[in-house]
Amino acid sequence: MQKLKACILGTGNIGTDLLIKIMRSPYIECSMFVGRNLKSKGMSKALSLGITLSDKGIDAIIENPNCCDLVFDATSAASHFEHAPILEKLNKITIDMTPAKIGILTIPAVNLEEAINGNNVNMITCGGQASIPIAYAISQVTQNIQYIEVVSTIASKSAGHGTRINIDEYIETTEKAISKFTKCDNVKSIINLNPAIPSIDMNTTIFVKVDNPNLDSIKKSIDAMYTKIKRYVSGYEIILGPVYDNGVIIVTVRVQGNGDYLPKYAGNLDIINCAAIAVAEEFAKNKIKD
Amino acid sequence: MYFLNIDLDEIKKIEKLKNSRILITGGTGFFAKWLLNAVILLNDKYKFHIKLYLLARKNNDYIEKTISLRSDIEFIKNDIRNVDELPSDIEYIIHAAATPDNREHMSNPIDTMDIISHGTKQILDASLRLNNIKKILLLSSGQVYGTIDGNHIKEKSVGLLDTNSIKSIYPEAKRYSETLALAYKSLYKLPIIQVRPFAFIGPLMEMNKPWAINNFIASAIKFKKIKILGNGEPIRSYMYPSDMVWWLLNMLLHSKDGAIYNLGSDNGISLKDLAEKIKIKLGDDIKIEIQNMNNDKSIFLPDISFVKDELDLDIKVDIDRALDYTIKWAKDNI
Amino acid sequence: MNNKNVIIYDVSLRDGSHAISHQLSKEQISTYAIAAEKAKLYAIEVGHGNGIGASSILVGQSKLTDETMLRTAKENLENTKLGIHIIPGFATINKDLKMAIDVGVDIFRVASHCTEADTTERHIGFARENGKDVYGLLMSSSMASPEVLLEEAIKMQTYGAEAIVILDSAGSFLPDDVEKRITLLSQNLNVPVGFHGHNNLSLSVYNSIVALQSGAKIIDASIKGFGAGAGNTQLEVLVGLLQKYGYESGIDLYKILDLADIADKLLITEPITISPLSVIGGLANVFSAFSKHIKRISEKYNVDPRDVFFELGKEKVIGGQEDKIIDIAIKLSKRKGN
Repeated sequence: MQKLKACILGTGNIGTDLLIKIMRSPYIECSMFVGRNLKSKGMSKALSLGITLSDKGIDAIIENPNCCDLVFDATSAASHFEHAPILEKLNKITIDMTPAKIGILTIPAVNLEEAINGNNVNMITCGGQASIPIAYAISQVTQNIQYIEVVSTIASKSAGHGTRINIDEYIETTEKAISKFTKCDNVKSIINLNPAIPSIDMNTTIFVKVDNPNLDSIKKSIDAMYTKIKRYVSGYEIILGPVYDNGVIIVTVRVQGNGDYLPKYAGNLDIINCAAIAVAEEFAKNKIKD
Repeated sequence: MYFLNIDLDEIKKIEKLKNSRILITGGTGFFAKWLLNAVILLNDKYKFHIKLYLLARKNNDYIEKTISLRSDIEFIKNDIRNVDELPSDIEYIIHAAATPDNREHMSNPIDTMDIISHGTKQILDASLRLNNIKKILLLSSGQVYGTIDGNHIKEKSVGLLDTNSIKSIYPEAKRYSETLALAYKSLYKLPIIQVRPFAFIGPLMEMNKPWAINNFIASAIKFKKIKILGNGEPIRSYMYPSDMVWWLLNMLLHSKDGAIYNLGSDNGISLKDLAEKIKIKLGDDIKIEIQNMNNDKSIFLPDISFVKDELDLDIKVDIDRALDYTIKWAKDNI
Repeated sequence: MNNKNVIIYDVSLRDGSHAISHQLSKEQISTYAIAAEKAKLYAIEVGHGNGIGASSILVGQSKLTDETMLRTAKENLENTKLGIHIIPGFATINKDLKMAIDVGVDIFRVASHCTEADTTERHIGFARENGKDVYGLLMSSSMASPEVLLEEAIKMQTYGAEAIVILDSAGSFLPDDVEKRITLLSQNLNVPVGFHGHNNLSLSVYNSIVALQSGAKIIDASIKGFGAGAGNTQLEVLVGLLQKYGYESGIDLYKILDLADIADKLLITEPITISPLSVIGGLANVFSAFSKHIKRISEKYNVDPRDVFFELGKEKVIGGQEDKIIDIAIKLSKRKGN
């Protein structure tokens, strides 16, 4: 079966982790690993895996437009603002791994169809990926949700400079996405960094304030959602709930990373990458159908 | 622009820069902006025909606007750490790629050290293949002097950096780069000079940077108050960027290889007096609050007798005029 | 500032909020503010126990909006400054800090867990750019060595914090711990250092004196100790004691004692004592504000709250991880065979 050709722009930890995941995919192959420095660690890894490299940045794709159909942009928000219009003109499907988020907010377990009808999608935030499927599952079988709150705790070691300086953006993006998917406007997102060693896995709790919920149908809805998520995030577990405490439905999930290139405790980064791969594979499956 | 004291003698001293090719790394920073404006002046008014390259990770609006449609200035987009090959016609390099913003040093310490140390190595490596290279000017930092009597520090002075403190992240990386440069000079005889900048004030400087003088000006304009955390007695000096630019261009031409020069003003002023001057210049009812939260009475001034003697340079713009021009610009840009 | 001057920073209406599950009313705020002004307090802090923007299911929802609380306080203050507590991750610049600027809050105290100071860079910068007084706060500072605290404090100072306050959020510091940390910070920072004590092991007032003797210039305190868990350093007691030690706080002794009486009737619903759980909290090195949640949840799942405390301490759980409490209660419950 012909695999969809994907190019990875950005050879840091995220890009390299994506590469390793792609190599396991039956639907996509990495046709080029593109960065700015052939000597970077990611480049060395890709070289050892026999992948075609380029240090020309976006020019590598401009100069060779047939190299790929889909591009993972794992560079930076500033760079993505430059890349997006170029990739659009070249008719590429773009999966935005940066904080730029100009395209469709995507949760594979929820709006895959909407995503593949667009040409620029992003994975929201780690807290969003972990919580929104659950919040959505609850919202599907529950009326009159008054308020949704999502709390994520991640290991300090998994939060680099980029995360720390953009905490406000993280909160705002997560809240916006929760509202989009659950249609509830009264939403709050909280994030904590925990410095404990050994590093903790990503922990996310979803609180949904509602009167008279039907816990049975909620549980069924969440179980069905869990099955969907497990298909693309193997380290995702529901460790608490759903329980109904003091007028609030509570569910806690834990995400442990797969440890492909990122460390295992970086479940927060892994879930984003897993989601990105899931979307890319859906694009691939769709193209094959055509 | 805000250039002061351009007399024909000054222009004559740097005549040899006519038709030269100059590269500035850190091409979007404060130093680069002023050097860029100097080159434009020299080219437009005095027909110097300098070809200028600016290298930086990404462009900014000011640079883009200033160099658009100019064929004598080219922007090279690259991370200094990835620099491999440079345009082969380059004769002079001013290596200013690094950030002096100490908030960045605290939040991004590894990148800070990497950009400085690795970036310097890349530039020196690349210059080995430049056949026409005449001078490489590396911008270090006055902070490399470490703990030392700060009253007019001579270039020969050696101080200590506290290896137990994160405050050493920036100066240590700069110190390492200085020694790395010596290694290149020793092995390959590259024409390197090192310049240690102190403090500056002038238009085009971002007023929200965390330095006392910037804070004073911004706060006085925005809130009609100046807060001095300590006792106001620390003594500092501030060089106006036009002096800085003329010094750097002279250094490119007239320095001896291997020389080290301080870059700054030796005219000290206490923080208290500085605040008073700003208050008077703004002519408003500005409240100065001396909080006495610490007992810092430190002095940090360069000795510039070496620069004066060797290069026949001096401070032409005093602190009053420097403040006048900066405040005028800040009022329009805050 | 001469050596024996002290700033007493009153956290009654913020830390105290924990004690009444964040149900402060307008009347409580305005009455307190008026009396605080009379007592010549330097500043009072008002808001949800976890700061602005923290009202949530996780840590408890406040009765009033942040804006209402702050405006009520501001209306009734003249010389006494109004301060707020800000934790990035809970509060954002757009939703919360901008509002506080608008209300006219004077002191912005930006806090992080004691090892995560670099999450405060933007918020400190924002407050500074708006001409406000800004402090940097290191929470749960018993969870880091003095050297690490100094590093984090240097970061906050670099970002623009004009004072650094270290918080004994678990009430677990011994006087020696305080002396080491305050001395190191005072000697190496350019900005004044402050101490925020909690009373789980009955040491908060003495720890505050030790802090002053080690170089601190700012002491957080709360009227009648009104605060999370076993409560804070008792403000009126401290003011009296400072006189004996020759420190000058500018506070009127009689009026602050009057304020204590007022607070008794106005704010205090339960006596502020060191409960057995508070002792455990201090020993387990667990964030004081967890107590109420732990008690409630332990009861529900039929486990010993003291075991929950120690378990939380073992996992080094920090403020904001209240959801962990249910997790651990259930774990212990299963272990018991419930």
